[in-house]
Amino acid sequence: MRALARPSSGFLLILALLLLWEVSARFDWMNSPNWPPLSVVLAALARDSLGGELPLLLGGTLWRMFAGLLAGGAAGVIVGLLFASLPVTRRLFGLTVELIRPIPIPAIIPPLVLFLGLDNTMKVTVVGLTAFFPVLTNTMQGVRAVEADALAMGRTFGIGFWRRSLHIVLPACLPYVFAGFRVALALALVVTVVAEMIAGEQGVGHYLVLMQFAGRAPEMYATVILLAVLGYGLNRGFLAFERRALHWYFALGAQRN
Amino acid sequence: MTQITRRAGLALTALPLAAPPLVGQTLTRLRVSVIPVTDVAPLHAAMRLGHFAAEGLEIDTSTTAGGATGLPGLVAGQFRVVFSNTVSILLGIREGLDFRFVAGAAAGNPAPPDIFAILTRKGSNIRSGRDLEGKRIASNTRNNIVWLRGMAWVEKTGGDWRKVTTVEVPFPQMADALAAGQIDAGIFSEPFASGALVSHGERLERVAWPIIETAPGATVAQYVTMKDDLERNGEVFERFARGLFKGVDWVNERRHDPALLDLITAFSRVPVERLRQTALPTYPKAVTPAEVQEVITTMARFGMGGRFPAPASLIFRTANG
Repeated sequence: MRALARPSSGFLLILALLLLWEVSARFDWMNSPNWPPLSVVLAALARDSLGGELPLLLGGTLWRMFAGLLAGGAAGVIVGLLFASLPVTRRLFGLTVELIRPIPIPAIIPPLVLFLGLDNTMKVTVVGLTAFFPVLTNTMQGVRAVEADALAMGRTFGIGFWRRSLHIVLPACLPYVFAGFRVALALALVVTVVAEMIAGEQGVGHYLVLMQFAGRAPEMYATVILLAVLGYGLNRGFLAFERRALHWYFALGAQRN
Repeated sequence: MTQITRRAGLALTALPLAAPPLVGQTLTRLRVSVIPVTDVAPLHAAMRLGHFAAEGLEIDTSTTAGGATGLPGLVAGQFRVVFSNTVSILLGIREGLDFRFVAGAAAGNPAPPDIFAILTRKGSNIRSGRDLEGKRIASNTRNNIVWLRGMAWVEKTGGDWRKVTTVEVPFPQMADALAAGQIDAGIFSEPFASGALVSHGERLERVAWPIIETAPGATVAQYVTMKDDLERNGEVFERFARGLFKGVDWVNERRHDPALLDLITAFSRVPVERLRQTALPTYPKAVTPAEVQEVITTMARFGMGGRFPAPASLIFRTANG
C-alpha cells in the first residue's frame, strides 16, 4: 500500500531502467534491430495478450509448473520426513539422492525425451525433479529443528511414531517446508520454460523461441517481461499464502520480538 | 518420486492410447517433427488443403526451432516422420540408426538467389576461404548441412578448412555477432541471410552463395522415418508421401505468390514483409542415390567419413520419384 502511495527508491530505479531501455532503443545505441523500444514491446505484449494467444500459452505453462511443483514437493516432504526420522532409509537412499541432486536439470532433458516424450509427461517430471530437492533438504532441516521437548512430551504421553510424525514433527517443520517450496517455486518456473524451449510445441517457452527464430524481437521481449512479472507475482502470492497458512508461526515470531 | 511420475505418465499417455484408429472411420495420427523454416511449406500446404485427411491421415506437427529433438525423438518413437538436414540424417545412419528417406524436402537453387549465403563485414576484405584462415566463421551447428556447405566453399576458394575456426552461433544472433565483430563471417540460411542484409545492410555484405559455388542445386534436407516402421506400415507412409507431394505441387505452382507467403507466415511467424525478400528452396519430391552419395563424399572430405550403406538401400519406394 505504501509503495503505491509513495514510490520507493527501488520503484524509481526500475522506472529509470525502463526509460533507459526506451531511449537506448530509440536512438539505436545497440546498433541492432534486435533491441526494440520498450513501447513497441509493450504494444506487442498487449496485442498478443488481448488476442488470447499468450494467456492460453501461459495457462499451459502454469499448469505444468504447478503439477510438477506439487508432485515433486509432496515427494520431497515425504522422503524428507522419512530420511530424518528413520535413519535406515537415509543410509539406503541418501547417497543416490546426493548423486542426482547436483545434475543440472536442463542437461537431462534431451535424454529424458527418450523415455518420457516431448509433452506434459516429460515436462512435469522435469519440474517435479527440480522441486523435489529444495523441499527435501528443507524438510530434513526442519525435522532436526523440532524441539526435543515437544518430542519427549509426545513420547511421555505415549503417542506412537506415525502420529508423532504427523501431529508434532510435520507441523513443527512446516515453516522449513514452506521455505523449501518458495525456492522450488522460483526454480520450477525457470525449468518449465527451459523444458518448453527445448522440446515440443507447448507453452510460453516454445513461443519465445519461435518468435526469436521468426526475427520478431518485440514479441520475444514481451514474453520475457511477462515471465519477469509472473515470477514476481508468484513469489508475492506465495508469501501471502505462507503468512496465512503459518499465521501461528509468524505470531510466535512477533511475540518473541 | 518415480511412482508419482509414473502414475502421472500413465494418466497422460492413456489418452492417445485409449483411442486406436477405427478403420474407415478415424484418421491415422502421424506425428511429424519439423522446424519452422520455409523448407516445410509443402507439408503445411498439404495439411491446410486437406490432402492428408483425404489419405486418411491426421498430421500432428511438432515444431522445434532448434531442431535438436527431431532425430532422437524418431529413434525414441516420439515421431513417425522427421524433417532433418541430410548430414545429421547420414551421421545417424553411420552410427547404425535405421533411418530411411521417405521423401525429399529441400534443395539449393540452380541459380541465385539461393538459400545459403556467406556474409562478412563490409571493409573486412574477406572474400574467400583463403582470407578466412586463422579467422572465425559461424555456423548454427557444427557437423550439419550448413557447416558442410560452408566448409566446401572455404576449400573451393583456396582455404584450408582446418585453419578456419568454426563458432556455433544460432541463426537469430548471427547478424548481431557478425556486425559486432565477434565473428568474421557467417554461413547464413534463409530467411536469416536476407533478413541480415535488410537489418544490417550498411555493415554486412554477401560474399558467396556456397551451394551454388560448390555443388549447384545440391540437396539440403529430407523427411525420414525408421526402417522397422516402414516394413510394418509401408502403406501409411505411401499415403503420407502422396499427400505431401500434392502440397509440393501446390507450393511449386505458387512460388512467391501471396498465398504461399501467407501460408509460410502462419507456421513460421516470420512477417510477410521479410518473406518477400527471402529466397525459397527448390522443393523436390524424390531423393536420388546420386544426391545422397554427393553428401557422403563431401562429408568424408571434412572429417565426417565412415562406412555407409549403399545410398539406394536407404531410399524408400515413396522417394523414388
